[in-house]
Amino acid sequence: MRVVIAEDNALLREGLILLLTSAGHEVAGVAATGPEVLPLLLEHRPDVAVLDVRMPPGFRDEGLRAALAARKELPELPVLVLSQYVEETYAAELLGGGAQGVGYLLKDRIGRVDEFLDALDRVAAGGTALDPEVVTELMSRRLDDPLRALTPREREVLGLMAQGHGNATIAESLVVTERSVHKHIGNVFAKLGLPPSDSGHRRVLAVLAYLNA
Amino acid sequence: MRAAVREAGRATVHLLTGAGVALLCHLMLGFLMVTAVLTAAVFGAAVLPEAVLTLRRLAGLERRRAAAWSGQPVPEAYEPLTGTLRERIRTAVHDPGSKRDLIWGGAQLLYGMVLLYAALILWGPALLVDGFWCGLAGRRPVLLPLIGRLADVGAGWSRTLLLPSPEARLAERIEQLTVTRADAVAAHGAELRRIERDLHDGAQAHLVALSMRLGLARRAYGKDPETALRLLDQAQDQAESALTELRHVVRGIHPPILTDRGLAGAVRALAASSGLDVAVETGGAEDGPRAPAAVEAAAYFVVAETLTNAAKHSGARRAAVELGRAPGRLRIAVRDEGCGGAEEGRGSGLLGIRRRVAALDGTVTVASPAGGPTVIEVELPCAW
Repeated sequence: MRVVIAEDNALLREGLILLLTSAGHEVAGVAATGPEVLPLLLEHRPDVAVLDVRMPPGFRDEGLRAALAARKELPELPVLVLSQYVEETYAAELLGGGAQGVGYLLKDRIGRVDEFLDALDRVAAGGTALDPEVVTELMSRRLDDPLRALTPREREVLGLMAQGHGNATIAESLVVTERSVHKHIGNVFAKLGLPPSDSGHRRVLAVLAYLNA
Repeated sequence: MRAAVREAGRATVHLLTGAGVALLCHLMLGFLMVTAVLTAAVFGAAVLPEAVLTLRRLAGLERRRAAAWSGQPVPEAYEPLTGTLRERIRTAVHDPGSKRDLIWGGAQLLYGMVLLYAALILWGPALLVDGFWCGLAGRRPVLLPLIGRLADVGAGWSRTLLLPSPEARLAERIEQLTVTRADAVAAHGAELRRIERDLHDGAQAHLVALSMRLGLARRAYGKDPETALRLLDQAQDQAESALTELRHVVRGIHPPILTDRGLAGAVRALAASSGLDVAVETGGAEDGPRAPAAVEAAAYFVVAETLTNAAKHSGARRAAVELGRAPGRLRIAVRDEGCGGAEEGRGSGLLGIRRRVAALDGTVTVASPAGGPTVIEVELPCAW
């Protein structure tokens, strides 16, 4: 895959380049400040963009703004946003244009190299990768009504779905069979009153819309 | 006519208590003279501060009376009588408030009595004249309202004489600033210690454990790769824990979203994640230059704390946050449609809000009648 990186911290930038190239990806371009990002993306049209939220010149949310602008200019471009901290509001803004090809992860997650590369692949393929911390925050807020009717296992499944994982990954991380994951998902959708949905990003959208309501 | 009589009656009662105060002044002045003589003769010195305190109480009573009649508060400003006996005597003598109180005491002695006599003398003719004037000619009473004016004059004089001098007000303001400044310094120190402890117990400890596991993994690498792998896994866990700890500490020092989005954006994020239906009105707080970081952080803290309270205790489903920019001030109002009855104690967080706001020389107003709504208004001075 061809990747464009926007990260101002040299240590992290070199680390990301090393990680991506060693995984067989090509780093097509690197931006170190907010205003460079959009022109770079328009020039290279990469398969996926990896953007840091806080960047020069203001060291505020330049990266996030660039990501939102990029999604407006190039709606098909998958964007993975990385940040030192996660904020529900930012997740909502990123997902505002649809959950297709959007990722929002803590920088900590890069350390789990396989999981990070998996999330990158998922986003590049049009899927979703939402940080577990955002999902936990969303779910803890909605612990009122129907969410309480879910069994602990069903809540786990709901959380993993919201993060954007497919059935196979969910089964693997919970150490159960795909058949039982399928059953749990059916129960979750029935209890929350959502129309049954296959894997894919329509399901993520439905789950996130429910959690965000 | 009846209303005029009732009003004149009320004024007469006011003048009557004024005459009572005048009598007390009489006693007080006598008491003070005796005290002065005793003090001059040294052995009565201990009584002097007590005498001045009693005079202050008497003046306080008159302030409340004047305020009740005119509806305008009469502020009070004295230097506190504390320390050793010598210091208390010196303050009692040098406080400009003492001199003003004395002058008022002498004046009240005269006008308290004179005004009451004037009112009493006025009653007879007033009833007669106004009885004819209103009853027969159907006009408005003319003499009875004069009794009310007499009470106005008394309250006005008391107010003028008892209003603290500009120096006394300045002294009180300095006193207040000294206290809040000391609080701010103490709060800052406590905050630094908390951050130090959080870093020491949290991130630092995790990093030590991480480094240890890396060292062990390195030793095991040659002869026991399986153990080395397990240790590397644990090291990674420790690194992640350290990062999580650091994120919490950073959030506690200065919420990152405040840096990113400014106060209005950060408050909107708070509202969105509060679990309540919150209407946010940012009236001009977003335009122009931003408030200083400390002011923004305090405002954010106030909104976060009040919204948490509203969600936890008030039973409200809806709330409203209003930010307003005024010349030299930032105004914050948080209102919830809950059950009200918010109390300062009981871990309501109101105390924390007061401390944080006082440190910046701001003000907090809480209105929370039983049955709701609860409205918390905060004003923070800030140079825009």
